[in-house]
Amino acid sequence: MLGELLYILAAAIITWLLFVSVDIFFRLPEKGGVSGASAVARDIQAAGGDIAGGNMMGNIVCSPDASAGTLLAACGVYVAGIPGGLIAAALVFIGNRICHDPGYAGTTGALLATFVVYGFTQVGFTATNFIAGTVIAILSIQGISHVHASRLLARLWRVRQ
Amino acid sequence: MIPALEIMFGFIALVGGVSAALILDYYGKLISLGILVAGVIPFIVDRGYLDVAITVSLIAPIATIFVLRVVRRADA
Amino acid sequence: MIALPLVAVVAVVAALRATFERNTARKLPYVNVLNFAIAASIVLLLDHPLSLVAAAAYFVGSTLEANAIASTYAGARNQ
Repeated sequence: MLGELLYILAAAIITWLLFVSVDIFFRLPEKGGVSGASAVARDIQAAGGDIAGGNMMGNIVCSPDASAGTLLAACGVYVAGIPGGLIAAALVFIGNRICHDPGYAGTTGALLATFVVYGFTQVGFTATNFIAGTVIAILSIQGISHVHASRLLARLWRVRQ
Repeated sequence: MIPALEIMFGFIALVGGVSAALILDYYGKLISLGILVAGVIPFIVDRGYLDVAITVSLIAPIATIFVLRVVRRADA
Repeated sequence: MIALPLVAVVAVVAALRATFERNTARKLPYVNVLNFAIAASIVLLLDHPLSLVAAAAYFVGSTLEANAIASTYAGARNQ
C-alpha cells in the first residue's frame, strides 16, 4: 500500500518533468494559441499570476498538449503495450487538429511518454502508477494555486530563453 | 466498483446538477453541465457499455457548442 | 489498487474547486483537472482496448467544449 503510493509519487515527478520540458521546448508559454487561451491567461494575470505561465495553462486547457499525450500514452501502454501508446499518439494528433491547434507538442509528448513509460515498466513500475502519477502532476499545475503555478512556469520559461 | 467510488462519482454528478440549477451565469451553467456529464461517464463505463460512453462523450460537447451560439446571441 | 481511489479523490476535489470558483476563465483549469481524472478512471475501471478509445474521445470532446466556452467568453468580453 505505502510502497505503491511511493511509486505513484515517483511517477508523478517523472511525468511532471517530462511534459513540462516538452511544453516549454515547444514554446507554449510564448503566446496563447487560440483566443480562449489568452482569456484564461489574462484572468490568471488579473489574479496576481504571471502572463507567460498563464499562457501555458490556457494552452493546456484549450488543446490536448504534452500532458494529455502523457496520460493517454500511459493508458495505451496499460491497455496494449507499445502499440497502444502509438495508437494514443495518433488519437492525440487527431484531437489537436479538431481543436485548431497547429502544434506538435501533444503528439511528441505522447510518443516520448510511450517509450518512457514502457522503459519504467521494465524496472518495477506498473503503467497504473504512471496513469495516477500524471493526474497528480496535472493537479499540481492546474488545481492547487494558479498564482504560484504560473509564476513557477514563467521562471522555467525565462531559463529556457 | 466499490461503494466508496460510487459515492465519489455520484457526488460529482450531484454537485454538477445542483450547481447548474443554482449558478445564474450562462457560462457557469454550461461548465456545471460538463461536470455533471463527467460524473455520469464512469457509471456507464463500469457497466461495460463502452460504445455508449464514447457516444455520450462526443455528443455532450457538441450540444454545448450549439447552446453556446444561443448564449452569444443572448449576450450581444 | 490504490490508484483508482486516488484518482477519484482528485476528481472530487477538482469538481468542488471548479464549482466554488467565481471567475469563468479561472474555472476552466479546474475543469481540466477533472477531465484528466475522469479519463484516467475510465481506463482504470475497465481494462479493454476500447476503453483507450473511450478515454481519448472523452478527453478530446471535453477539451473541445472548454475551448469553445473560453473563446466565446473571450469574444463576448471584447465587445
